[in-house]
Order: sequence, then C-alpha cells, then structure tokens
Amino acid sequence: MSVLARSVGNAFRNKVRTAAVVAVLAVAIGLALAMLVANQAVTGKVAELNASVGTVLTVNPAGGQGFEGGGEPLTSAQAATAAAVPNVSSVVGTKALRLRNAAEIAAEAAAGQTGRTGQGGPGGQSATSVTTSLTAAVDAGTLGNRNQATSGTAGSTSGTTGSTTAAAPAFSLPITATGIDAEMDSTGKALQLTQGTGLGNYTAASTGALLGTTLATKNGLSVGSTFTIQDQTFTVQGLFDSGTAFGNNALYVTLPTAQTLAALPDELSTMIVTVNSMENVDAAKTALQAALGADKADVTQGQRNLETAVSSLDSVKNISFIAFVAALGTAGLIILLIMVMLVRERRREIGVLKAIGAPNRTIGLQFVLEALVLVALGSVVGAAVASLASGGIASALISSSSTTSAATAQRGGPGGFPGGPGGPLGGASQLLTSVTASASPGVIAAGIAAVFGVAIIGALVPALLTARIRPIEVLRGE
Amino acid sequence: MIEVKNLVRTFKSGDRTIKPVNDVSFELEQGALASIVGKSGSGKSTLLSLLGALDKPTSGDVVVNGVSLATMPDGKLTNYRRRDIGFVFQQFNLIPNLSAVDNVMLPMEFAGVRKGVRAERARQLLEQVQLDPYKHVRRINRLSGGEQQRVAIARALANEPKLILADEPTGNLDEQTGEHIIELLSTLSRDHNTTILVVTHDRALANKTDRRFRLQQGRLTEEPVRTRATAAVTG
Repeated sequence: MSVLARSVGNAFRNKVRTAAVVAVLAVAIGLALAMLVANQAVTGKVAELNASVGTVLTVNPAGGQGFEGGGEPLTSAQAATAAAVPNVSSVVGTKALRLRNAAEIAAEAAAGQTGRTGQGGPGGQSATSVTTSLTAAVDAGTLGNRNQATSGTAGSTSGTTGSTTAAAPAFSLPITATGIDAEMDSTGKALQLTQGTGLGNYTAASTGALLGTTLATKNGLSVGSTFTIQDQTFTVQGLFDSGTAFGNNALYVTLPTAQTLAALPDELSTMIVTVNSMENVDAAKTALQAALGADKADVTQGQRNLETAVSSLDSVKNISFIAFVAALGTAGLIILLIMVMLVRERRREIGVLKAIGAPNRTIGLQFVLEALVLVALGSVVGAAVASLASGGIASALISSSSTTSAATAQRGGPGGFPGGPGGPLGGASQLLTSVTASASPGVIAAGIAAVFGVAIIGALVPALLTARIRPIEVLRGE
Repeated sequence: MIEVKNLVRTFKSGDRTIKPVNDVSFELEQGALASIVGKSGSGKSTLLSLLGALDKPTSGDVVVNGVSLATMPDGKLTNYRRRDIGFVFQQFNLIPNLSAVDNVMLPMEFAGVRKGVRAERARQLLEQVQLDPYKHVRRINRLSGGEQQRVAIARALANEPKLILADEPTGNLDEQTGEHIIELLSTLSRDHNTTILVVTHDRALANKTDRRFRLQQGRLTEEPVRTRATAAVTG
C-alpha cells in the first residue's frame, strides 16, 4: 500500500467526521470561488469601461458645442497645447460640417426660402455652405420640422430672411460630415467598420470617405462607389455602424480634407483628449482647462457617470477580493486545525511508524496528502456550490454597492451623480447591473489551485509537528 | 555483536528521580537468543526501547557492530530501526485501519522493497506465524489478540533484521501457538544468525534461550541457563 493509498484510506477512516469536514470545507471553498468569480467579472467590466470612454475628455470652443452656441473656434495650436498637458496620452481633432443635398438647396432657393438655406449651412461653427450629392438617410419627421420651424422664426427675427409666398418643399435633415485625424468617432470611440478599410493616413488630405451604413443604403452606395461634396468626387472606402440611426446618417473624411472643404485650414470643431488612466482624469481635466483658458475652451467629461460606476465596481472588486482571501484563509485554517487534531489523535500511530523505520518526510507527506484528499472533496462540492451561487452573490454585492452609492448620492456625498435616467446613479446603475458573473473553468481552476496552495501550507504545519513526535510515544501506556 | 555499556535512564517524577535502567552493561553475540525476566515495572521495556533506539539513554551507550547509538543522528537512527531492528511490542501496535498483510508490508515499503516482492514476502511471513490465509486481508481490528500478536511478529521479521527485540511475544498466545513462536524465534536465531532478545514472564520461553538476564530495580544480572544444545541432549 503506497503513501497515497494509505492517505486516502486515512481520510475515510471516520466517515461521519470526513463528511462533516468536507461540508465545512465546501462552504469555505465555495465562498472563496464565488468571490473569485465575482471579482473576475467585475475586474473585466472595469477594464472594459476604462478601455472605452472612461478616460476621454471632450474639448469644445467656449460657449459653443456642435452647431450650437458661439465663441471662437478651436485651432491646431490649441491641440498642440492640449497634447503637452501631463497625463494626456492622445489628442484627436475633429472638424464637423453640415452637408445639404445640392438639389434640395436649389429647390428651396427657387421657392424663396433663403432662411432655410442659411440654416442649412454649417451653423455657428462655420459660415460656409457645403453641398453634397448625398441624400440624408433620416426623415425630418415631426421633430425635424418643429426644429426647422423654430429656426425659421429666429431667421425672420433677424430680418435677413424674406417672407415665404409659395408652398415650401419638404424639409430634409442635413448630413453630418466629420473630419478626423484618427480612426475614431466624434465621442472618442473606435469606429466599427463593417465593410472596407479605414482612410489610411488621417492627417493627410484624401478623397476617401467612410459612410454610415444607413446613409450608404439610402444612396445606394457600397465600398468603391463615388459621390460628391462641393462638386469634388469622393470614394467610399469603408462603411461603419455606430449603433444609432442618427450616428449612421453621417460620414467621416480626413481632418485636412474637412478643413479644406470648409475653407478653414487651421480650425477644429472639437478635440477628443484621452487621459492615460482613470485616476488621472480629474487632474488632467483641470490642467487642460487651465492650459487652454476657460474663456477659450470648455472641457467636459462626456460620461461622468462612468466614473461613478467604475468607482462602485472597484469597491465591489475590493470587497470580493478581501472575501476571497478571507474564505481562502478560513479553508486553510480549517485544514490546519483538522490536521493538528488528527496528528494529536494519532501520536501513538506516528510513533509506531517511526519505530518501524518510517522517515519523517514519509509521515509528513502522508498527512499532507490526507489533507489534500479532504480539500479535493471539498473543492468538488465547493465548485458546484460556486457555480450555482456565484451569480447571485455577485448580484447581491453589486446591488448592495449600488444602493450604498445611491444613498450617498442622495445625501449629496462625493459619490453622488445628480440626474440622469433611472435614478441618482443614472447610467451607472445600468452599468453595474450589466455585470455578469459566470463561473468559467479557468477561474474555477485558478481558485482551486489557490485553495490547494493554502491547504498545503495549512497541512505542512501539522505535518512538521509529526517530526517532533519521538518513537518512544509508542511505548507510552505499555 | 551488541555491547551495552553502563547504560542509565532516569525519569523525573515530581521531586523524585526514577532509574528504571541503572548502570546496565552486557554483551550479546550475533545470533544469540537471550531473555530478560523481571517483575512488572522493573524497567524491562525501558531497556528494550534503549536497545532499539526508540529512546535515548541518560548516560552510557549501546554499540551495535562497532557503531555507537548515543552519537548517531536521528536520521541514521531511523535507518538503524528500519534495517537492523525488528520490534514486537507488548500491545502489538499495529495500524488498525490496515489489513494484516498491509501491516507486514509497511517496514518493507519504508525500506524501498518493490510492491510485488513485499506482498509475496508478507504472505509467507503470515503463513510462518500460522495466520489463516483468509485472514491476511482482514483489518487488524477484526482479528483476535493472538492473531494480532502473530501479525506483529511477522511485521518484526519483514526486513530480516539482525536484532529482534520482543516484549512478551507469547503473552497473548495459546500454549500451542506460543510453542510455535518460540520455535520460530529459535530457528531464526540458529539458522539466520539473528540476535533475539525477549522480555518475558513465560518461564518456558526464558528456559529455551541461550542466556537469561534478570532486571531488578534497574540493575541487570545474568542467570545461568541450560544451553539449547544441553537442553536438546537432556530433553
């Protein structure tokens, strides 16, 4: 009978006690594994959020945003200033244009609607009217026509528009064209190309363009097709899907091309500034605002609520990690105490083994293996418990954290985020509940490896105690 | 050859110092069959444990084939117990959750004997001590006291030791089995040149040994006995 076989036999010497020990170990190991699964799920979510928009700042001209407001436009020199701010890892400049269908502009002019033509231009950001052969993929609908009517009233008030006497042709929405100097959208997210390729060098003028999928469909275009902007021919080099109908009624060209089309070679509409880490976002935002000047630029953190979400997730991550370590330590302690008890109980037997020539290492190994048999059984049951309970435990942790954060926000504490959809945390609470904890084999295997590591440490102490037992123990009581 | 030189073992009991072994000296030739007799509590088992390197003497030395046990480190003492000594304990001290054959195989496992070899040898030894074959695979706690005693003797013989130390080896055996065990020990001593030292109350066993010692209040004295050859001649 080998040491292993003897260890397995010893583990089942007292079946009732073995069952009790395995049950207690299974609870500790199951809890440890569930916490590890929750921790991994939250860690993954935090990384995902950080990798998306959590570290992006948006810079607009002070007093202006998009095609609204006023103030002075941003310049390439300001982009260079922004790039020199500490913790800023990249600055992407954009130049937005509003494209109107050339035929529709002509029809409106014929109907005497010069006010509409003015509105069809690039608005507050550019005085240049940009025409295209493309037709918008989004119908104006009630909202578009209502906005158009409001704008028309404003035009009449300025006294620059004439009164309309003929029936107005149907209004169509403009198309947003954005010049970019990196392959990302105007919010800083990477463009999701569904067909074709990117534009190559985004810092050079080119006649390539990326079209939203619905805009391409509306105009019967595919990769390789051509269209015009300001009577200049452009080739579709790729199609992208932004995920929204508005976002897909748009196109992207390189920044120099957009600046040339607008005849404003040094002008930027916005800057997308990426900070090197979530922790540095606040400091970078302050430094960026100071560097650019509050009267020149507005610096905003587009998805401020993400910070709240990540902060809550971080606390869940920390709690789950501490609980994992504690449960792991508990499992180790259980093993330690059980094995110390067994060593004390079997002092005489250990003495016998030594008396007949068993080396200390053999006896120690026998006890370590016996402990590992118990841990293996506890791990099997614990893994089953974890796979069933990890989702619930993660949800309980996250909902508990959300509640705490929400309560803090309502009190006006530092974690608060006023407004937004669905309550005080706004989108953050939705992000929190979107964390899915599933017990993947890899995580369970890593957890069990950690459990075995702790069990070996826990079993080594009593195993070393056996070395101190003298063989004369065997004669005690004789 | 075993030389015991001025061996002393003392224990503290409150303020008193007890000397179960007090300045004991004797020599045993290789292949000798010797017995130690004495009253209960006279120190016989303590002397046996000192000879078997289970305990360390307060002073004095045991020299086995020219090697001193007093200065031997623990690791070498373990080797000595494994290779050179076979113990038969008064209370058997078998591992209760193992079978008879597994118990006999244990010392051979520690000595690195291959599994097939040790299983065959264990079976032979159990047959030698007259344990029924169907009981070889029985757990120890399902064997009677006499059967356990025979398993303990078989275990002591497992590694063919040079010295067998037996504490009351026939104490739990019926007369017939006891006779057989005495004969077995005698054969080992005579034919295999194994030194055997038995502690016993059994006068029949003591009378069949080559040398007989009496331990009284920690002091050892040798008593004259008939030699095996003499005993055989005189019947």
